[in-house]
Amino acid sequence: MKIYPPDGSIGKPSLARAATPSVIAGLRIGVLDNGKPNARLMMVRLAEQLAARTRASLSTVTGKGPAHNAATACSDEVLDLLEKEVDLVITGSAD
Amino acid sequence: MTELLDLPSDTPEALMELFDSRGWGDGLPLVPPTPERVGAALAMLGDVDPDEPIATLAPRFGEATRRTIAVNAVLAGCQPEYLPVIVSAVRALARPEVNLRGVNATTHPVAPLLIVHGEMAQRCGYNGGLGAFGPGSRANATTGRALRLILLHIAGAVLGPGDASTQGGPAKYSYCVAENEASTPWENYPASRGIDAASAVTVHCGEAPHNFHDMESDHPARILDKCAAAMASLGQNNAVIAQGEYFVALGPEHAATAASHGWTRQDVASYLFDRARLPAGLVRAQFDRVAWAPWMHAMGDDHLMPVTAHPDNIRVFVCGGAGKHSSVIPSWGMTRSVTLPVEP
Repeated sequence: MKIYPPDGSIGKPSLARAATPSVIAGLRIGVLDNGKPNARLMMVRLAEQLAARTRASLSTVTGKGPAHNAATACSDEVLDLLEKEVDLVITGSAD
Repeated sequence: MTELLDLPSDTPEALMELFDSRGWGDGLPLVPPTPERVGAALAMLGDVDPDEPIATLAPRFGEATRRTIAVNAVLAGCQPEYLPVIVSAVRALARPEVNLRGVNATTHPVAPLLIVHGEMAQRCGYNGGLGAFGPGSRANATTGRALRLILLHIAGAVLGPGDASTQGGPAKYSYCVAENEASTPWENYPASRGIDAASAVTVHCGEAPHNFHDMESDHPARILDKCAAAMASLGQNNAVIAQGEYFVALGPEHAATAASHGWTRQDVASYLFDRARLPAGLVRAQFDRVAWAPWMHAMGDDHLMPVTAHPDNIRVFVCGGAGKHSSVIPSWGMTRSVTLPVEP
């Protein structure tokens, strides 16, 4: 018996992640608070420790924009800001 | 053209094993989506391109074509004539205000409720009467299931990478009813949203129904006070997300009581907006993060704050049969309902 598969093709591929930097020393670290409870606290602490160990710097801490919420997308303005002002971003805390 | 798969035998077990091995399915038995069955469903759409992408569904960003939708409808056990309803529901789910990526990925047990309105509901046998949210109607059961299979297979809302729901919920198997237009004392729901069509669908991404009952009241206020009590809960996302909607599925007898006192659908919503409230200070004490409308932040702690920012966020439709029960369906919050005409 022949049957159709149920999933179909991918319509819009996910954006590829940027390559991981091989050396973090001297880079600017950003924290993008994704709106989950304690996300900013935890990720800022993580970024500070990473910066201290690698001689990088924590340069930017931001939320997602005016409608900052865990369930909504980050605003284009914030993404543009991060692209200009940081070299790597820590984000994505869960509950 | 989609490549067909070989199924080694036509037994139900063979299909289940194939789907299990690929991480497909919802755990229940399936109907083989043979070219003949899929073709019969597609024939119900008329002269349209079966392979035209009509939506891209997050988080997998799978392309939903009429054919892939039909495949999942067959798998779910749908009759061919249900397909226009399902295609329209997929269009609705793909609207940006639904925020399907969030709906699918959240830890909350949200599921899309599909409400079918108009001629298609009548012709295909969708149940908006007795026991509408329960079992017994092939149209309701399989259409709701088809929508879930589409979310699993095309949207990639699979447990873990695509669906983080902490406990899941029974509404994630199948969640479809019809509006009981014959017992609606007002214009039908789509008309109230400005949709003039013979048939329409509404999707509302929310919780399973919360029952409220009133067996004895002959005035709508006393009945709706029970509804307001079910709405004013600290445990629902609506308490902290002011844009969240409530769908109120009024049983026909409760709706008739409201109408007999001259209350319109808007009157019901306005009354609930006034009565479904929590002290602002209580909500502040319980939550560190709230997504309130700006004006709500100005309320004093003793002020009774509505659990949604506007009466229009309370959406009333009639559903069910004889008896004095109704239900309220809170929202996931960061999503808005969509009503669209049924189109192929």
